[in-house]
Amino acid sequence: MHTLTPKERLLAAAKKQQVDRPPCICPGGMMNMMFRDIMEQSNCLWPEAHVDPEKMAGLAFSLYEAGGFENYGVPFCMTVEAEAMGARVNMGDLLCEPHVVDSPLDSSARLDLLKPLNINSGRAKVVIDAIKILKAKNTDVPVIGNLAGPVSTAGMLVDMSVLLKEFRKKPLEAEKLMEYIVNNLIVFGRAQIEAGADAICISEPSGTGEILGPQRFRDYTVRYVNAVLDALDVSAKIVHICGSLNSVYKILPELHCDVFSFDSIVPISEIKAALPEKAIMGNISTHALGTMPPEKIKQLVRSCQQKGMDIIAPACGLPTTTPLTNIRAMVEAVRDVKTFAG
Amino acid sequence: MRSKEEYLQALSDCVVNMEDESVGKVAQEYIAAGYPALEGILKGLVDGMQRAADLYEREEYFIPELLLCSDAMYNGLDILRPHLEKSETQKKHKIVIGVIEGDTHDIGKNLVRIMLEAAGYEMHDLGRDVALQKFVDKAKEINADVIAISTLMTTTMPGMGRVIEMLETEGLRDRIKVIVGGAPISPAFARKIGADGYAANAVDAVKLVDRLMGADMMSLEA
Repeated sequence: MHTLTPKERLLAAAKKQQVDRPPCICPGGMMNMMFRDIMEQSNCLWPEAHVDPEKMAGLAFSLYEAGGFENYGVPFCMTVEAEAMGARVNMGDLLCEPHVVDSPLDSSARLDLLKPLNINSGRAKVVIDAIKILKAKNTDVPVIGNLAGPVSTAGMLVDMSVLLKEFRKKPLEAEKLMEYIVNNLIVFGRAQIEAGADAICISEPSGTGEILGPQRFRDYTVRYVNAVLDALDVSAKIVHICGSLNSVYKILPELHCDVFSFDSIVPISEIKAALPEKAIMGNISTHALGTMPPEKIKQLVRSCQQKGMDIIAPACGLPTTTPLTNIRAMVEAVRDVKTFAG
Repeated sequence: MRSKEEYLQALSDCVVNMEDESVGKVAQEYIAAGYPALEGILKGLVDGMQRAADLYEREEYFIPELLLCSDAMYNGLDILRPHLEKSETQKKHKIVIGVIEGDTHDIGKNLVRIMLEAAGYEMHDLGRDVALQKFVDKAKEINADVIAISTLMTTTMPGMGRVIEMLETEGLRDRIKVIVGGAPISPAFARKIGADGYAANAVDAVKLVDRLMGADMMSLEA
């Protein structure tokens, strides 16, 4: 088999086709891939890189060039969508990612107060422009666009506690809110694909089985994530769900994604058994990546490969104090195909 | 008229059945019938919250249910609390709780506050996106026994360790226990930053604080 380019390898692995070795990626978005070392090395610093397309693209490009993950990924947070629809966001600082400080709605019934996501303004445009810049570099590296999951986005537009209660007490209003969000996420997702994204990753840190329970995980998370996925025409669709998945193993096959990404607390063997048809991605502990020596990271990667992980990736967003040496060690361990022999 | 036991059962049922609108009426009837507020809280409302926690541990209830049960508990508490005797607001262990600076995810923190409050602790909730120094200042101000810090984001985790360093600098570390929690937090991380404990969820947080405070009392007695 000839040596695949990073893009060919990711797209093949996503479809569970035979590859020379697994790709080693980190999608971006909620699955933050950026850290201080690379920001300082590239002089594309947070928080500017969240609002300046040149710096956003520059940071993503520099990480790959420095021997980091085998993809470009933007943005570096999960607040772009909610902000575009009306949430107030604090952009954070060099080490702390942007976060919503004020939700515009006190109930999902006040949908009328939201504004539609405009891909020609604000940070939605920054993300689109950054993808165009990365695409124009014309490299073999896949560009991954990101969307905050519909339930997580709803939890930023309405206070999350209120939203969860309304899922139970006002399901009709909650459904209308979810449909509004889905339509706007589709607009943003399609614009990212048109700008050149080779894959889209949807992350649901809030819409988890642990928080919602299995019935609402199906009724809200799976239903609305699928509504977004079905409307997107892209070669690889990735979904990341945080936390323990014990209560929802049987429901996961209903997700219309190619790749399923999961947390480090979830045993790989259980996910493989639950999702025989999908490529699986993960689940290197971000705590280990942030604090342990490179040799330990290599061990974790090898163990992950031996257990049959299709795509090697961090299990969650990276701490911004993660050392570049550990990310390089992670990628090197995956590239060391000898460990994969047999 | 219902017996005290029937009322206590009704209060408990209102909480576990998420009847946040009818619980107030039951609590008022209970007081009007001349029954003691403290018992209504402990054997009625708190008992209901405890049953909700049991259902949560058995994965029959999830976060939305716990939130609705706690709404019912608080609505009942609003009625019963003003009727407590002075002597009944006994000295409790004090806990400062908050979501650390840079993060606004507060459901987990809210649930921990609710369950600790139901377990009898005096809670001082700093809210979310809380500046590191504020944890220390508040703990000093109220003479807290425990600081509980939560985050859901990996990028804000290092702040937890800094709060502990600040307590050390101020010479407060020995008398204030620090517990941490949140999705990206692990027992290993808690140990690394020198926290006294980690809990995976709100129910475990109560067990953890009970253990830390129990151990504390024993060391005082020794």
